[in-house]
Amino acid sequence: MDPFRVPPELFRFTDGSRSGLPLAILHAFGEANERLETALGIDDVRTRLREVGWLETLDDEDLVKALDQLKGQGHLDVVQSHAGDYRTASEYERRNLQYALTRQGEAAYAGVVRANEVLNATGALQTATLEALGERLGELAKQLEDGTDRRVFSTLTEVEGHLEAFRDNTKRFNGDLQRLLHAEADLATFHEVKAATVAYLQEFLNDLEHHTHTIATRIKEIDDHGIERVHRRALNGAALPKPDARWLVVRKARWDGLRAWFLPEDGATPRVEDLHNLARRAIITLLQVLDRITESRRRASSAVADFRELARWFTVVPAQEDLHRLWSTMFGLSSARHAHLAHADPEVVSTTASWLDAPPVEVSELLRSAGRTERFTRTGRVRDVTAIRAARVQQAIEERAELEAAWNMLDTGGVVRLSAFEKLDHTVFERLLDLLGQALGRPPGAEGARRSTTSDGQIEIVLRPPRNGAVARLTTTSGVFRGPDYEIEISTTGGGA
Amino acid sequence: MSLTNQLVIAEREEVARGIRALLATPLIGERGSPETFDLIRRRREPIRQWFDYYCGWTLTVEPRLGYARLIKVRAAADPTRPARRLRSGRAAFDRRRYVLLCVVAAELLTVPVTTIGLLAGRVAQASAADDLVTTFDAATRAERLAFVDVLKLLESFGVLEAADGDPESFVDDPAAKVLFRVDATLLLRLLAAPVGPSQLAVPADDVALRFEELLEAVSHEQRYGLSSGRHEDTPSASDVQRNLWLRHTVFRRLVDDPVLYFAELTAEERAYLGTPTGRQLLRRAAEQGGFVLEERAEGVLLVDVDGLATDERFPDDGSNAKVAALLLLDALDEPRTIDYLQKATAKLLKRFPRWAKTYRGKDGVRRLTVDALAVLTGFGLVRAEAELVRPLPAAARYTDRTEEAP
Repeated sequence: MDPFRVPPELFRFTDGSRSGLPLAILHAFGEANERLETALGIDDVRTRLREVGWLETLDDEDLVKALDQLKGQGHLDVVQSHAGDYRTASEYERRNLQYALTRQGEAAYAGVVRANEVLNATGALQTATLEALGERLGELAKQLEDGTDRRVFSTLTEVEGHLEAFRDNTKRFNGDLQRLLHAEADLATFHEVKAATVAYLQEFLNDLEHHTHTIATRIKEIDDHGIERVHRRALNGAALPKPDARWLVVRKARWDGLRAWFLPEDGATPRVEDLHNLARRAIITLLQVLDRITESRRRASSAVADFRELARWFTVVPAQEDLHRLWSTMFGLSSARHAHLAHADPEVVSTTASWLDAPPVEVSELLRSAGRTERFTRTGRVRDVTAIRAARVQQAIEERAELEAAWNMLDTGGVVRLSAFEKLDHTVFERLLDLLGQALGRPPGAEGARRSTTSDGQIEIVLRPPRNGAVARLTTTSGVFRGPDYEIEISTTGGGA
Repeated sequence: MSLTNQLVIAEREEVARGIRALLATPLIGERGSPETFDLIRRRREPIRQWFDYYCGWTLTVEPRLGYARLIKVRAAADPTRPARRLRSGRAAFDRRRYVLLCVVAAELLTVPVTTIGLLAGRVAQASAADDLVTTFDAATRAERLAFVDVLKLLESFGVLEAADGDPESFVDDPAAKVLFRVDATLLLRLLAAPVGPSQLAVPADDVALRFEELLEAVSHEQRYGLSSGRHEDTPSASDVQRNLWLRHTVFRRLVDDPVLYFAELTAEERAYLGTPTGRQLLRRAAEQGGFVLEERAEGVLLVDVDGLATDERFPDDGSNAKVAALLLLDALDEPRTIDYLQKATAKLLKRFPRWAKTYRGKDGVRRLTVDALAVLTGFGLVRAEAELVRPLPAAARYTDRTEEAP
């Protein structure tokens, strides 16, 4: 895209403290133009000024000065009108001058209006816009089949209009969202705004996928007609007074924009997915912030006072013991406390037995004969009943290691056929069956691929049906396995959990 | 063993570890213990549910801010789990340190960044403005030491981060330059009690008199309706609220204290634990938390074989007092006077002549007895009443009646 260039004088009139009047004048001309009045005399200007809300007193001299200034900056043209019926010379002097907006003046006014719009607008992601976009694309496809060039043009224009609206809204919405995420100052309104935004985003996300799919399908349909031909027909249908090659360039750019959003040609991620992620992330962030606010609202206002009051309590509580209890109660940071010695076999003692009747836990003899310092500093921890447990833990660790080794062995590092494994150790084969079973338990995706991830997220498996119904034959240490020769991809990357 | 089984076992063990880690350290920071934090982050949902269901305690995990906070709500009856100085010896906080901690916390809430000097100045001002709190005087070394102990504790919680300089240098040099960043959100989360002391607006003179009542008041949670707070029941409390309160109040003691004696429960709480549902919940909570449940006629306790969910171990050779405590239990076959126990301690010292050097001097026998009894009290094994020390039933776990008392 070419960089924007703006004529140097275009927005000069908005400078300074006296910018109100020139702006009002442009406004007046803009309003008049809508009623197809292009030239205004000084009295007309005065009337119109009042209509657009300029109520300050204004003598002729100032008004003329302002008009001249705008003329000097190229926003207004002056023409002399001789057609009027003038009775006196002064009346002639006064009324024969007619002012009209120049192209630059129009642009300046439009710029100001747009700037105001942007300032006042709040963004919104509208499902309706997306729906309309999809619908118009469908209509365009239909018109390409059997419609006139004129209809192709008008439908294309509508499509572009909706896309523009969608892009604008998205841009603005994202801006609003980011500001919302940052501006945590105004707690009062914040809460409601955010809660509403979350509800709204969730609803939007619900429909997004469906609409995206529709739009992408239609884009493909239209592209099949050859987009250049489509644009040429539209150009024809537009029946412009001066057909311009640039017109086609702009259409092409717009169409590329549409594709970038929903169906990029190079297979890149469609931008609408960024939107999806953005919305999802925003929901999470908003909810977290909401949480935090609810909590800090409850506390922040009074926390300083609470700490101060607590300092006073700590000052006057008499007993040393009560200090510690106050600490534990107020801060809740104290540790739990538990015994660590258990019976070797806890099940043998009845739950209704008294502690006095139950056998004692096994306490290290070294501790009891602890008089000899050098011995008991070396004894370290007591290791009696933990033996069974340790063995069990060890077993689990070993099994886990074996499992991980198997997974590593199974990591295909890309797509392979099941038959590529050929020979497998039986235990490894069992792991493979586990994974296959998990993947087969999933519904197939769009291209028939089934995806599954182990619940700790370490292993991902993708399974595609064999192209030609081939059968795989795997030899393991305990036999031969036959089954469909799936295309299979196992990766142990997963990125942890 | 199948893949799914393996994963289930791995998850169960991790959840159990996470639960016990949080019981021992209700605020776990990523910087201090990255592995534990990572585990809690990954298993936060089942861990959160466990605490929420059994204890009604909220677990907040902030994956990006890097901390997990378990809000333990309960009026503490046990004075033996104080805040500790992060120095060798880990002495308990004294009054001055607790007071300074609160004053510092209040001052920190208003600034995102500060220096140790500015903070000391503000603390001095704030304490001078309070007619009750002793004015902080950074000119004396003892005060600076207490101040730094407080800052180090806050640093260990992650509330303060020394961006530049070492707080310790302030002890010797009041002009030391240390730059702190403050995490105000975390600071707010330090207060676990649901009711702020300032809301209660108790006149200073009443605080000491109504202390027990105040501990209950700051721990009061509205969710249990009027039945909360171990007060007499009111007809307006709904059954749901009462059951919730029963479950939470019983489990809070069970998971936080070494022994839960039935005799210390209200009739209603005892009845609740006696029901098949109550028993089943006990077992399930213990299993999910990775504890061994020990049920006896007089009470129940959770054994943490790994020693994760506890600040101290007993029996243990960690200190002379603990060893003495174990040996003194043998003398406590029935309620004994302090006098009797001191004699037993003296015998111990005589029996092991080269042991417990710090207790050899003047007053050593008395001090060792006091310290040993503190250990036993802390583990719910004895109760001291005036001059009499009474063994509690669970003490029988560690006594060896076949041997002669020392």
